[in-house]
Amino acid sequence: MLELKNIFRWYNSGVNRAFVLRDVSLNIEQGEFVSIMGPSGSGKSTLLHILGMMDEPNEGEYSFLGENVLKIKEKQRAELYKKHIGFVFQAYHLIDELTVYENIETPLLYHGIGSSERKSMVADILDRFNIVGKKDLFPNQLSGGQQQLVGIARAIITKPNLILADEPTGNLNSKQGQEIMELFKTLNDEGVTIIQVTHSEKNATYGSRVIELLDGRIER
Amino acid sequence: MIQNYLKIALRTLLRNKVYSFINIAGLATGMAVAMLIGLWIYDEISYDKSHENYDRIAQVLQHNLYNGEKTTQPSNPAVMAEEIRSHYGSDFKYVLQSSWTSTHILTYGEKKFTKSGNYFEPQVTDMLSLKMLKGTRGGLKEPNSILLSESVAKAYFGDTNPMNKLIKIDNKEIVKVTGVYEDLPYNSSFKAMEYILPWELYLITNPWIKKMDDPWGSNFTQTFVQLADNADLDKVSKKIINVKFNKVAKEYKSYKPEVFLQPMSKWHLYGEFKNGINVGGRIEFVWLFGIIGIFVLLLACINFMNLSTARSEKRAKEVGVRKAIGSARSQLIIQFLSESLLVVVFAFIFSILLVQLILPTFNEVADKKMVILWTNPFFWLLGLSFSLLTGLIAGSYPALYLSSFQPVKVLKGTFKVGRYAAIPRKVLVVIQFTVSVTLIIGTIVVFRQIQHAKNRPIGYNRDGLITMNMQTPDIHNHFETIRGELKSTGAISEMTESGSPTTEVWNTNGGFDWEGKDPNLALDFPNNGVTYEYGKTVGWQFVDGRDFSKDYATDSLAFVVNQAAVKFIGLKNPVGKTLKWNGKPFKIVGVIKDMVVQSPYQPVRPSLFHISKDQENILIIKINPKISSREALSKMETVFKKYNPAVPFEYNFVDEEYAKKFGNEERIGKLATFFAILAIFISCLGIFGLASFTAEQRTKEIGVRKVLGATVLNLWQLLSKDFVFLVMISLLLATPIAYFFMNNWLKKYEYRSDISWWIFVASGLGALLITLLTVSYQAIKAASANPVKSLRTE
Repeated sequence: MLELKNIFRWYNSGVNRAFVLRDVSLNIEQGEFVSIMGPSGSGKSTLLHILGMMDEPNEGEYSFLGENVLKIKEKQRAELYKKHIGFVFQAYHLIDELTVYENIETPLLYHGIGSSERKSMVADILDRFNIVGKKDLFPNQLSGGQQQLVGIARAIITKPNLILADEPTGNLNSKQGQEIMELFKTLNDEGVTIIQVTHSEKNATYGSRVIELLDGRIER
Repeated sequence: MIQNYLKIALRTLLRNKVYSFINIAGLATGMAVAMLIGLWIYDEISYDKSHENYDRIAQVLQHNLYNGEKTTQPSNPAVMAEEIRSHYGSDFKYVLQSSWTSTHILTYGEKKFTKSGNYFEPQVTDMLSLKMLKGTRGGLKEPNSILLSESVAKAYFGDTNPMNKLIKIDNKEIVKVTGVYEDLPYNSSFKAMEYILPWELYLITNPWIKKMDDPWGSNFTQTFVQLADNADLDKVSKKIINVKFNKVAKEYKSYKPEVFLQPMSKWHLYGEFKNGINVGGRIEFVWLFGIIGIFVLLLACINFMNLSTARSEKRAKEVGVRKAIGSARSQLIIQFLSESLLVVVFAFIFSILLVQLILPTFNEVADKKMVILWTNPFFWLLGLSFSLLTGLIAGSYPALYLSSFQPVKVLKGTFKVGRYAAIPRKVLVVIQFTVSVTLIIGTIVVFRQIQHAKNRPIGYNRDGLITMNMQTPDIHNHFETIRGELKSTGAISEMTESGSPTTEVWNTNGGFDWEGKDPNLALDFPNNGVTYEYGKTVGWQFVDGRDFSKDYATDSLAFVVNQAAVKFIGLKNPVGKTLKWNGKPFKIVGVIKDMVVQSPYQPVRPSLFHISKDQENILIIKINPKISSREALSKMETVFKKYNPAVPFEYNFVDEEYAKKFGNEERIGKLATFFAILAIFISCLGIFGLASFTAEQRTKEIGVRKVLGATVLNLWQLLSKDFVFLVMISLLLATPIAYFFMNNWLKKYEYRSDISWWIFVASGLGALLITLLTVSYQAIKAASANPVKSLRTE
């Protein structure tokens, strides 16, 4: 599904060059559930951002569904990203001024989907996640776990083939975290490719593969 | 989609009530000011437009060389219209002679009032396209007719039909009411014309006019024209240039009279002539207020932009999230623009309410009767499209700025606006304060100038001085008796007849000669005919010689002159010297200190006074200072009723008439103050908003500093320092700008105050103080916050 070849990412500070990712290459197939692990500062989040086309490597190639992502135009890249990828953040990042319903609906607006279709899609998701009763509440009225749930709902409503999750359970307690991971497992069984960055060994066991990063390089 | 944006916009506004209020209030204030000024300008430029023939009507004016200077005047000889008609009739539809608008006593039965009106040639009704409510436009054909304005008709006849009723003019002439015309609107140059009498009647009641030896030697009437349909004003104006020159006697040719036409479109706004050139007039105020209006609106828009971008850090996260979930930059721009538009629309509605509230007060200050043009579609179109434009322009900068945030940086939490992001904001604040301080300085200078002129010694005593018109000969015929009686009742100290009041010049003469006078110099001096009591009545002061006195029979051919006259003529020892007037030798018996008669801002003209045996225009009376004016006036009324029963007892206080001379400048002063205060208010709103956001932004820094030992004072200084610096820069910029403009403005006035340095210092300190007060609230609040709270990590 996607392939990274010799990816380098660095930041210039004065004369020095600080490398975040060094010569990273990997290949991920459709339907995999990959966990990226490693100590702080090893470049996990940066790798995820590059995969999600939110950041660009300084060197290297990235092909996604056969397209050479770095060579195509900005607009085409955005289309690609919009259509196929959903992002789940550690800090959920919901829009505080919108209700649960509206938060979940927002990506559909950016896809230009019509009003009645939107209604049915959101209703389905709310049902599935069992949060119908909470649809008119604002994020600050929800618990952490519930907010993350909404974040995930928002990420999958456009039916992406790939979900990128950056420490999705980092701000949750163990019980909430477990619920989230179960959900991921279910989604993966339905055919969605999942790449998650995580610290937790336990979370990594839900996946099919583990990639370990150390100082910007892949160890395993 | 738009619905979604508007929903979010509304919720965002409600969530941040303080910020929203500041933004909407500031913008609404700016828009209200712009609207008020817009209405004022509209009113000024629509003067006289109620007359259908606006494009074709003109007034006949003259340039003359008086005392070596080219002076422009509207007064013409009584035969001017006739002359123009006979030589250039084909270029005109109407050429009409008219008297000045003057007051006369109109009596009907028991009702007698003083009303003002003109003697006009009959076609004035067609020229001014008067709307006749009764009768026809042909009502002035018979010399003994009168046309009444609607309100005068109502005053005398109430609801009954005034047609064919008989009215007495000045207790002498009887005229028949032949028509009633709709009142002229207040923005017509003829609004004071409450009735019209036929020009023919003027000639009949003043037989001396037709009997004049030299009809071209006296200018005491007006001439109005309407051009023929295809005539070109400039061409015709050039044609008639010598119409007077060709007819005046040889000795008057040195005045070099030039006759020309001034179109109606220029009457109200371009009334000033200097050296024969139409330099402007009220149009300068139109420009001035237009510019102020634009600037105040600019201030409000700047505020809007500043506050929106300052809040950007709060919105950064939302921008990042939206981009991450699929928003294109253009969609974000539209979202933020729609937020701006929502604010602008609210502000527009609010501003209309503000204008409706302020309009009555504004009308009083500006001396107008403006209303919001509710039914004028153009008004709404202009207002709404202007709001949209403001929203787009003011909202574009924040929209573009906000939508440029990179999602990764934002969401990682390492996002911080660069140091340089604050610079555009700072520039805008400096602009705001420069404008505000300039306005403050300007206002102070205007008021100082008014005060300076008010304090100018006027050369006579205004206290307890009143003037009365003499429309009938009764008072003049019994002058000594009336004077004696008034004095014996203790009502007055003294009384005199005079050709002009002390506050105006109603008569000038030429034809003077003295030893060594340049024969080519054509003269024009105010020359006032008075009785012997004039000096004691007005209290003028002599620097040389003596007052008129009945003890000297030769005083019937004597002049009292002022210092300016002595200077102009160049006399060394004026008392006793001879001054010839139209060949007759007059002796100068005294020199008075210059009396300020016309403008308190201009130098006094060389003036003469002589003894007049004829009936003059007015009485000037000095009320007995030992009793109250109310008591004196009631005693006077009794006496006047005895000798002048047919005339209503009316009078003017000289100090009130004098105060009117400052009316214009005082109005400007009040308006300038009004706008300066608003500009400061808007700027302060801006600073208040910015200060609150800076404080919020630096919460963590303040927390850390407090832990390290900073006091509230240290922190207050830290937070206020930036703003004080910005205001100082504004002061440096405002000073030369204000000085330049105010210097230019003051140059118009010969008698002017100086621009002292303390004005700039005071304005600067004032601005600084207001800034500190505004900022301090936020600074102290932030500085007093508990560091534990500020340093708690999310």
